[in-house]
Amino acid sequence: MKNRGKSDMKLAMVLLFPSVFLVLLLVAYPMISNIKISFFDLPINPRLDATFVGLKNYTDILTDVEFIKSLGITVLYMILAVAGSTALGLAVAIFFNRPFKFRKAARSLIILSYVTPSISLVFAWKYMFNNGYGVINHLGVDVFHLFDKAPLWFDNPVSSFILVVLFAIWRYFPYAFISFLAILQTVDSSLYEAAEIDGASTWEKFKSVTIPAIMPVLITIITLRSIWLFYMFTDVYLLTNKVNIIGIYLYETAFAFNDLGKAASISVILFIILSIVIIASRKRVKFNGNG
Amino acid sequence: MAMASSKKNKTARKIGFYTGLIALLVVSLFPFFIMLMTSFKNSKEAVATDPTFFPKDWTFQHYLDIFNPDIFPFLAYFKNSLTVALTAALLSVLIGIFGAYALSKLNFIGKTTINASFYTVYMLSGILLVVPLFKIISGLGLYDTKTALIITMIVQTLPTSIFMLKSYFDTIPDDLEEAAMIDGLNRIQIIFYIIIPLALSGIISVFVYSFMVAWNDYLFASIFLSDSVNFTLPIGLNALFSTPDYIWGRMMAASLITALPVVAMYAISEHFIKGNVTEGGVKG
Repeated sequence: MKNRGKSDMKLAMVLLFPSVFLVLLLVAYPMISNIKISFFDLPINPRLDATFVGLKNYTDILTDVEFIKSLGITVLYMILAVAGSTALGLAVAIFFNRPFKFRKAARSLIILSYVTPSISLVFAWKYMFNNGYGVINHLGVDVFHLFDKAPLWFDNPVSSFILVVLFAIWRYFPYAFISFLAILQTVDSSLYEAAEIDGASTWEKFKSVTIPAIMPVLITIITLRSIWLFYMFTDVYLLTNKVNIIGIYLYETAFAFNDLGKAASISVILFIILSIVIIASRKRVKFNGNG
Repeated sequence: MAMASSKKNKTARKIGFYTGLIALLVVSLFPFFIMLMTSFKNSKEAVATDPTFFPKDWTFQHYLDIFNPDIFPFLAYFKNSLTVALTAALLSVLIGIFGAYALSKLNFIGKTTINASFYTVYMLSGILLVVPLFKIISGLGLYDTKTALIITMIVQTLPTSIFMLKSYFDTIPDDLEEAAMIDGLNRIQIIFYIIIPLALSGIISVFVYSFMVAWNDYLFASIFLSDSVNFTLPIGLNALFSTPDYIWGRMMAASLITALPVVAMYAISEHFIKGNVTEGGVKG
């Protein structure tokens, strides 16, 4: 359809109008609005006036120890959860990459934690990890003697942090698992046979056949999951109030402390970080089969 | 002799494999098992310091309770969630089909720019936009309405919808369209009579994806909604959790019923869709 350039233009504009309009109104405009708000002291009550404060919000944020601490916690959370969910997903995919009975059913069951709404999963975890009557502390202390004293999972920042990382690994490894399984099934088994003839060990086969084959998927999964976990809000916010990741810090600055200007300046700083990641990843990340 | 030992070896490996598989499933499904069993326990047994796996006395009272509007506003929240998720998913798919068709089949100036900007939007997280969106929604007079949530959910899912649909449309050969044009169909008719039927499995998976995102949303619901009449399940249930008199069995029953629509949709869509929702880089 190469010769219809002109008529295509008109039709394309009509067809794309709703998408472009919505994205401009509710993504592009808010992004610019963020930059504007970040220079003001803006009360949440729309009847009160905004006062221009220049760079004050930025200097406040960048010198705020809590912000730096929150950034550090977020990066640590992201690294641990991405590494954990990707490694587990890959291991399970390799485990599944063979014919066996109930494979399809088992695969569907594994995905369950990924498709179930956060709110349902969070309730189950809150119940399981309850200090007093939770089954995890019961198993860990009384049955298997893993810990001497029951950890107060939701009251202590360190154990809460462990909890949210475990939750993220458990919730998101199926995503990596499915992507890896799909790519592993395309790997030619003769490559493994050839490596075997050369006397390659399991580890060598993994290194020289599996890793190169899954590399594009691996890079995509790590990049996307890192971005999504860096901006995580819901899972952690619903699970505990002891892990102050950046998404929660931003949300509370805006809606608990009603400091919209400061929250907007945090958004701008985070957007700059994100832009750098997007520009760096654009060439390498393949998503939905097209770029 | 050698054959016998290799057969033994094979059996041993098989046992090892299935043991591993069962262990994996146990860990992965344990929270679901706890949820299900607790939903059948009475309130006292649910908080016993010596927890049981299976209920001593099975009770179905919690399921009756959550569907009783005098006791628990679950049905009202469920209805709100359904309205928001269905409307948002339908509109996201419809708008997405038009956009994806243009990006897949039409030649026009600015295509690369639009592609690139949708790509950026795809990576952009909703949390970065909460402050201005809150101002815009209030400014439009949409604060505390389901409409606010619906349009936000459409925008949140739209870039993924477009890219997923585009990759389905890309596989439909141009010859088909040319033949249809010779038969006298115009572009819009082609979309409805040729493209949509051929890409139906993709369209369903995009619908399921959008529905799931909207059904799951806590962030925007918590910002935009203030009257509990409008609450969707995530914020409604979380608000109930904060009250001191929540009952675990009831919350677990509610959690399971909340999960049911998305899990069922996912299972159904998996049945007749080759590349399912989670294949490829779907946001989540």
